[in-house]
Amino acid sequence: MSDPAPTLATQDLRLGYRERAVIDGLNLSFPPGAVTAILGPNGCGKSTLLHALARLAPPRAGRVTLGGEDVARMAPRALARRLAILPQSPVAPEGITVAELVRRGRAPWRGLLAPFSAADAQACAEALAAVAMTGLAERPMAELSGGQRQRAWVALVLAQATPLLLLDEPTTFLDLPHQIELLALLRRRNRAAGTTVIAVLHDLNLAARFCDHLVLLGPDGLVAEGPPDRVMTEAALMRAFGLAARVLPDPVTGGPMVVPL
Amino acid sequence: MVLPLALLAAVLAALALGEVALPPVTLWHGLVAGEGPGAFTLRVIRGPRVATALGAGAALGLSGGLFQALFRNPLAAPDLMGFNAGAGLAVLLATAAGLALPMPLVAAAGGLAAAAAVALLAWRPGHATPVLALVLTGLGLGFALSAAASVVMLALPLEQAAEAQRWLTGSLAARGWHHAGQVALLASGLAALTALQMRALGLLELGVPIATGLGLAAGRARLAIAGTATVLAAAAVAVAGPVPFVALMAAPLGQRLSGARRPGARLVAAAVTGALIMVLADLAARAAIPGVQFPIGVMTGLLGAPYLMWRLAREMTEQRL
Repeated sequence: MSDPAPTLATQDLRLGYRERAVIDGLNLSFPPGAVTAILGPNGCGKSTLLHALARLAPPRAGRVTLGGEDVARMAPRALARRLAILPQSPVAPEGITVAELVRRGRAPWRGLLAPFSAADAQACAEALAAVAMTGLAERPMAELSGGQRQRAWVALVLAQATPLLLLDEPTTFLDLPHQIELLALLRRRNRAAGTTVIAVLHDLNLAARFCDHLVLLGPDGLVAEGPPDRVMTEAALMRAFGLAARVLPDPVTGGPMVVPL
Repeated sequence: MVLPLALLAAVLAALALGEVALPPVTLWHGLVAGEGPGAFTLRVIRGPRVATALGAGAALGLSGGLFQALFRNPLAAPDLMGFNAGAGLAVLLATAAGLALPMPLVAAAGGLAAAAAVALLAWRPGHATPVLALVLTGLGLGFALSAAASVVMLALPLEQAAEAQRWLTGSLAARGWHHAGQVALLASGLAALTALQMRALGLLELGVPIATGLGLAAGRARLAIAGTATVLAAAAVAVAGPVPFVALMAAPLGQRLSGARRPGARLVAAAVTGALIMVLADLAARAAIPGVQFPIGVMTGLLGAPYLMWRLAREMTEQRL
């Protein structure tokens, strides 16, 4: 993580399938070095937006820029050295071990025929340590619990050693303690290495607690963005989700806490 | 270790057994010294036949293994998806028209055309084509191509038609050393090409989004791997006909027998298993009923159809179908 984190931003971004634009005219800037959550109801285009940010899907109009540069014009490997993405519910190949999985995270740093270097090995070891999986490195993925498996996938993108890390619903299918464990892990990484983290999340209260910045999307596009206490308002929740709720101070952190009515 | 030993045993059995069984001593003399009553059988009849089976089987096994790893689905295989039928029809057409073209080239063109047709027919704008859609579309196209082959055969003189029918089932009858050499050369060339694609395949195995996120030009890499796999299958079809089910079965069976985990090792196991199935099926086709020679495709069909039923049942149990 030598470079200072470049800023990821969108300009007049339009996303969607055929006639139906899910997102239109979106201008956003994700604060570098912060943990950002993308929130919103199902079908509002959260995942579509994340995919477009990582160039997994081309925008229908507008562009995504990284440090001012259009990501569509960047070489795939050059982009992969600056931005990592963990898609939703990945499936591991049969029989693969945690260590073998994590090694593949080094792909953007290796030449076509270059052997696995000491630097590669060190990045993998660090990634495994960051997710507390060092002891399980030689275990097949199939033998792990859901929480361990998700941590192994996170280790894969950590081994990629990028200043930006994007995750699509990384806490889905995890129980509450494992959700908290994963979010705490991402924030630790953010604080320790300055990694910019952008995650699509479902749980509003966890997002408010673990993130520095929220992007709230509704059926008609962007509802609000900013720090949790500015975004998480009763009016915004009604606009985004159609949800009647009270927002009270979290008794533990003092941040906003959503209590549905 | 099971696989290479099994293959060696199968090759020796295939050389020794047949219409005339060669006792071990005769086989030894024929193989090592190249003389004695076994030498002719080995050099002219069984040797090239077994060698062709080895090459074609390995090519089919590797092709199936590549498709299954690429699409992350055990139902993906050039035989099920109609690519072999495309290669077979092309060879039949070229033969019927009396064209003096190199048959592997014709087969490759037919296989690639079928693959392109399947991809195009299953494609819908706006989202990735599900693998099952490719398999079912290919299955349908395969039926259409087989029907077209039947039409072509009707136009042929009776004797030629019978031979074509046999070849279209998949047959190793009357194979010479040039067939064996041809498929060996093509299969090793394509295997070398495959080796260069291993790292891309290792990433694609994680799914296209992750592979793309790791900096792979996934579309191009998938096209290159699918092309290599299709031409591999076509190389086998050119010498052995569209033998069914070998490509489908080889990789999962190879993984069971070898316990291989890494993508490279799994593909080697798939190739060796493909060769093993092919040699054994040909031996069974020749020696199961004395005096009767089945085309090898009948044997792999007898073996493969139950496998397919079992595989489908398993996919349904695990709720992937």
